Amino acid sequence: MTAVVRAEGLSKYYGRRRGLEDLTLDIQPGEIFGYLGPNGAGKTTTIRLLMDLIRPTGGRVRVLGAPPGEAAIRARIGYLPGDLVLEGRERARDYLAFLGRMRGGVPPGRVTELAERLDADLSLPMRKLSKGNRQKIGLIQAFMHEPEFVILDEPTSGLDPLVQQEFLAMVREVRASGRTVLMSSHVLAEVEHVSDRVGIVRSGRLVAVENVAALREKAVRRVELHFDAPVPREAFEGLPGVRDLRVEGAAVRCTIDGRPDALVKAAARFTVVHLVSAEPDLEEIFLTYYSEEGAHHDHQVPA
Amino acid sequence: MIIKYLRDNLRALAGWTVGLSAFLTMYLGIYASIKDDPATYSAQAMAKYPGALKDLMGGLQDIATGTGYLQTVVYQLIVPMLFVVCAMILANRAIAGPEEAGTLELVVTLPVERRRVVLERFAGLALGLLAVAAVTFVVVWGMTRQVGIDTPFGRLLAAHTGLYLLALFFGTLTLAVGAATGRKAAASAVLGVWAVLGYMVVTVGRGVDAVSWLRWVSPFHYYADGRPLYEGLPAGDYLVLAGATAVLALTAVLAFDRRDVGV
Ligand SMILES: Nc1ncnc2c1ncn2[C@@H]1O[C@H](COP(=O)(O)OP(=O)(O)OP(=O)(O)O)[C@@H](O)[C@H]1O
Ligand SMILES: [Mg+2]
Repeated sequence: MTAVVRAEGLSKYYGRRRGLEDLTLDIQPGEIFGYLGPNGAGKTTTIRLLMDLIRPTGGRVRVLGAPPGEAAIRARIGYLPGDLVLEGRERARDYLAFLGRMRGGVPPGRVTELAERLDADLSLPMRKLSKGNRQKIGLIQAFMHEPEFVILDEPTSGLDPLVQQEFLAMVREVRASGRTVLMSSHVLAEVEHVSDRVGIVRSGRLVAVENVAALREKAVRRVELHFDAPVPREAFEGLPGVRDLRVEGAAVRCTIDGRPDALVKAAARFTVVHLVSAEPDLEEIFLTYYSEEGAHHDHQVPA
Repeated sequence: MIIKYLRDNLRALAGWTVGLSAFLTMYLGIYASIKDDPATYSAQAMAKYPGALKDLMGGLQDIATGTGYLQTVVYQLIVPMLFVVCAMILANRAIAGPEEAGTLELVVTLPVERRRVVLERFAGLALGLLAVAAVTFVVVWGMTRQVGIDTPFGRLLAAHTGLYLLALFFGTLTLAVGAATGRKAAASAVLGVWAVLGYMVVTVGRGVDAVSWLRWVSPFHYYADGRPLYEGLPAGDYLVLAGATAVLALTAVLAFDRRDVGV
């Protein structure tokens, strides 16, 4: 199967400013790829290269098997710009209809359905839309023609948590139908629940690509237990999977690898008044994992 | 896409058409009173403006004759400049304006060749200006009959065609600079300098040997020096204007195709 994105040594310099350097990356059909990095890392640069908005200064890239400059392939792509601007008196509904026509048609009822899911108002003139509502229109236009490849530059910016959930559901549906998503974000937490793989880019270089499921297996979980009376340290020592144990009076803090079973059974002998279990911080291990391997080691794990 | 461009600019087009029509109606209306006392008005006009300004206004010699009045008031300075400004505004809304605003980003990622994007916006510009020119032509024709200016229909049409070609030339110039640079300011600056210097060269600079040869690069030379209102359609001159416009349009298409958008 041809890769949805195949970049080889892709570079972009804006004059002397570095935007992206030597990006080599394959994205396979049917996967959701999370593209992470701090401000100015080169995420938008990469995405705009894929959309042929800007031209590489080095290397080559294929999107859906063709050079990005080929106009016809863009009908098979949905794109949400990182800095979406919608202006004018035109109503969002009319603008979406125009975009849909230009891309060769949208299934009837599709726009309304998406608008209902995201709770977007299509009847307002676009200049009157709030930031979040603009972003919703941007998402609708990226998904409405059911493209093979959806490219989203910071899709969740400006969205409230409820809408974010709905958006993630839409992304999962794209994958369920065998289509592909590339989405950028600043934080792993935003994309880890839907991504199959994540890549981290820093200062224009891809420093890591990792499979999320594999990452999650390595995840450690922090647990905090509070009891009604001080507990003996011995009761929790040597439990399988429990590390970094700290017992302070009536509180026990530790991290666990894998199953929390042994810890729960040990705790059951006392009266538990409070239990806190933090989500595994993938980002942390992700970064430490790679700082061990060296920042310039381009590591790839196929999906 | 042409229709979309025109619809997006409908307000601007309508505004300019109404404004220009009102301006023309008013100024041509005044002729009714001039006609009754040509000698006084002619002398007044000659006395009112100093020499250089008179040159700038195209001489003013026969302002009291119908065709002379028409030439001075409509086809000499103010109306062509208004047309040029209108063309500039419309042209800036084709590429550079949306690019600076950020709305061009989605358009360029549609499954449409960039060349076609520019060509269709050029076509939209040409059609939009044609609409403005057509309506104002009807107004001028109607008003001249009303106030008793008897310039023949053909001559009037020839002069108005020149107005259209002049506006289209400058509009396409704006489009080309905008398409090449993505900057409205750059496009407007190039247009402003070329239009003002071009106009000076064929009016004030006419008698000055050091600059008069420059008229070959002044669009106003091809627009006015054939005296269409008096002598009919200057086909050669107009072909030069149209040809230069075509070259600029091609430049716009090629320049936009090559560069990064929105950087
Ligand atoms: N038009 C431009 N001209 C010059 N330099 C640019 C331009 N666009 C981006 N850059 C530079 O390229 C680098 C990468 O920028 P890019 O916009 O790709 O980052 P990003 O990862 O999308 O950041 P953010 O999270 O802030 O959106 C930055 O150092 C930036 O300064
Ligand atoms: Mg960005």
